[in-house]
Amino acid sequence: MTTPQSQISTHLQTNKSLHVSPTWLHSFITSSTTLQRNTPLSALTQTALFRILASDFRDSLTTSTPSSLLPADIFDPTVQERRLPGPVAVQVLDIEDIGTSLWSQVEAIERVARGEAIRGREIVRTVNVGEEGEDGGVARGPDTAAGGTSPGPHRLILQDAAGTRAVGVEVRRVSGVALNRMAIGAKMVLRNVTVARGMVLLTPECVTLLGGKIEALDQAWREARKAKLLARITAGPNGQNGQ
Amino acid sequence: MPVPRVLCVAEKPAIAKAVAQHLSGGSFRTIAIQGNQYVKNYVFEFNFGAPWGYCSVTMTSVIGHLTSLDFERQYKAWLSCPPAALFEAPVLETVDHDKVAIAANIQEQAQGSKALFIWTDCDREGEHIGTEIRKQAKEGNPRILVKRARFSNTEKAHVLSAARALIELDDLQANAVAARIELDLRIGAAFTRLQTLQLKPLSAALKDTVISYGSCQFPTLGFVVDRYLRVKNFKPESFWGIKVMHSREDIKVNFLWKRVHLFDRAVVTVMLERCLKAKKAKVTKVNQKPTSKWRPLPLTTVDLQMMGSRFLRMDSQTIMKVAEGLYTKGFISYPRTETDQFDKAIDLKKLVEKQLPDGNWGQYARNLLDGAFRTPRAGRHNDQAHPPIHPICWVAPTALTADEKKVYEFVVRRFLACCSEDAKGQTSEVEIQYGDEFFHAKGLLVLERNYLDVYVYDKWESSQQLPNFQMGELFEPTEAKIFDGKTSPPNYLTEPELIGLMDANGIGTDATMAEHIAKIKERQYVAVHSRGSGRNATKELIPTRLGIALVEGYDNVFAGMPDSPSLSKPFLRKEMELRMREICAGSRTRHQVVQEGLDMYREVFVHTQRRINMLKEACRKYLNESAA
Repeated sequence: MTTPQSQISTHLQTNKSLHVSPTWLHSFITSSTTLQRNTPLSALTQTALFRILASDFRDSLTTSTPSSLLPADIFDPTVQERRLPGPVAVQVLDIEDIGTSLWSQVEAIERVARGEAIRGREIVRTVNVGEEGEDGGVARGPDTAAGGTSPGPHRLILQDAAGTRAVGVEVRRVSGVALNRMAIGAKMVLRNVTVARGMVLLTPECVTLLGGKIEALDQAWREARKAKLLARITAGPNGQNGQ
Repeated sequence: MPVPRVLCVAEKPAIAKAVAQHLSGGSFRTIAIQGNQYVKNYVFEFNFGAPWGYCSVTMTSVIGHLTSLDFERQYKAWLSCPPAALFEAPVLETVDHDKVAIAANIQEQAQGSKALFIWTDCDREGEHIGTEIRKQAKEGNPRILVKRARFSNTEKAHVLSAARALIELDDLQANAVAARIELDLRIGAAFTRLQTLQLKPLSAALKDTVISYGSCQFPTLGFVVDRYLRVKNFKPESFWGIKVMHSREDIKVNFLWKRVHLFDRAVVTVMLERCLKAKKAKVTKVNQKPTSKWRPLPLTTVDLQMMGSRFLRMDSQTIMKVAEGLYTKGFISYPRTETDQFDKAIDLKKLVEKQLPDGNWGQYARNLLDGAFRTPRAGRHNDQAHPPIHPICWVAPTALTADEKKVYEFVVRRFLACCSEDAKGQTSEVEIQYGDEFFHAKGLLVLERNYLDVYVYDKWESSQQLPNFQMGELFEPTEAKIFDGKTSPPNYLTEPELIGLMDANGIGTDATMAEHIAKIKERQYVAVHSRGSGRNATKELIPTRLGIALVEGYDNVFAGMPDSPSLSKPFLRKEMELRMREICAGSRTRHQVVQEGLDMYREVFVHTQRRINMLKEACRKYLNESAA
């Protein structure tokens, strides 16, 4: 007889290409069944997926399948081109818009802080007067302030279950990859992806976005973003490949 | 039965004279009035048609507004009351000292007149001046009937038909102006007193100045300071891109990268390597299509000021002054208009015909009449009061001053351009895919210049022509390499840009923008500098230390308050401007708008008082630095 644990594991592996860590799954099952003994399996699977997307892959995924991991030497710049069949599940640790100057990104952040956006030549107030709380203004702010979504391309730092990091470059527009739409800790699966000189070339065909975020990382990233941009501007072009 | 007497009053003496001339057919008596050397009474007879019929007319004028609003005497002195009291202090409307004789003339002429016909300019201010005239006339003759003439230029036929189709004065528009006047007075006086009293002691440089505040002035200054700081704070950054060149048929075709440039050298290097590795580029698009450059839209005030200060090298206030002179003399239509569509009723060909005698564009006008004439494009704005600015008649260049000639020429060329065919050309475009990257090259061939021949301000030139490329064709580009560059700061704000910003953000009306700009120059909040020299010089607006200090000070006062935007921002003023429009539309009363406006600014005022130290600190920071 198959246990709920193995059923969930198989389901997530076939449908989402996520190789869930048995230890993580075990603790998930034990913690939830004590609370909700009669939850149907499908709902439990959904909950598991939701938790995994909000988790750190290094905790929630297993490293026992090498084909689902990035090669340890992925950054090697002497390799002109190689292909990873995958599927490799990774999480996003950093996202940058390399089609827009750092300074104009700083200016956009400052406009948002002032509660303004620009529409053509018109300066628009994004803060709703009389509406209590900061959430309304701040949540709607960034998208309008950036003038919709920037065409990018974006440069990402990706990390697999084993903690191996790689640089990803959006060589063709991947919808969902955008500064204000993608959270830090968002998850994606790479299939048949080309790696050139240590850069993972992201295209719509080889990227499946799963969504999610790691709350603590995301918040810290957003708070530090302006300072980081400013620091990079001061450091000049040589300081920009700091990883 | 005696011939009924009618009193006509225009906004300016020159209009009174021009209208008198047209209505009387040139035969009128001129009578001087006591106490004012500019205003005259013109007496003649005219048949206004039913129901007025044949009348004995006295045509006179005012000189702009007759009255002004001010605080009662006990509030006038600087230290007479706390500045906040000015939000409620009683105000009264009185006839200006130098206009008393004019008002008396209207009262006197109204006695014995059956009706008053108002000939002020057809805009909001004109409507308000109309109510001021009405008030004086009713003092002299409470039973006088009041009508107004709707006209937008002083061409004879137009004036005659306006005289025979009189309408009512629009009290809603007049009320909007009255509301604006009261708000400007109270808010302006309160903030001016507050900041002058508080800031003056801080620096010797401010000893003899009034640091005035105006609800349009400050956002206008805000735009200038904002740009200045963007230039000053700017940090250049390096970028890299890929340039592909291919030689064919002895033409070197430069292909531009679809991504233009990126801010990451490593990524660009990898992208170039992948292009080179692919060896061959593939032609993914070959396009040859007709294109056109559209003739301009009919001319509005904002456009006249923007284009004028760009092409004629005059500031917007001078342009408006000159244009008004041209209007008063009957050479062009009323220069304050938001309308960019011609009414179907206007006989445009007849207006084109008037330009035939001209040595420069007469031949062009002839060509239009000989078949090249096209109905002008219609824009989306119509203020329902005035047509777009256009020439009324031809004027010999010798009859104009140098500035008048420039503005008149611009108005005429713009008008003829509107009535012309678009310029026609052909673009060819080739797009290639090289590795994962896309590049494109474009060529333009101008086939027919059309309107460009008369509208010398627009430039549209043929570019290098592209050699033949076949769709789907593979070729190895001659060269592909990385180029680099640096981002550069924006330029300081120019006057046309500032007008564009004010227009987009609802600061002032097309009629008052130039005045607000002149005001911040006069107050020495901004200075004008020239960049470049000779004909290519660009005039830029740069804030003074005081200007920066005020904006930074107010921004600090309001920092972190999501509900109260700084006075240097356009939002509060824009609100007010919207309310004015609501009065005009009849959806709000003057009283409501004044009360709401005062409540809004009173809150801002209290907050400013509470955090006045922020303002002082900013002034110390900038002004004492200058002393060192």
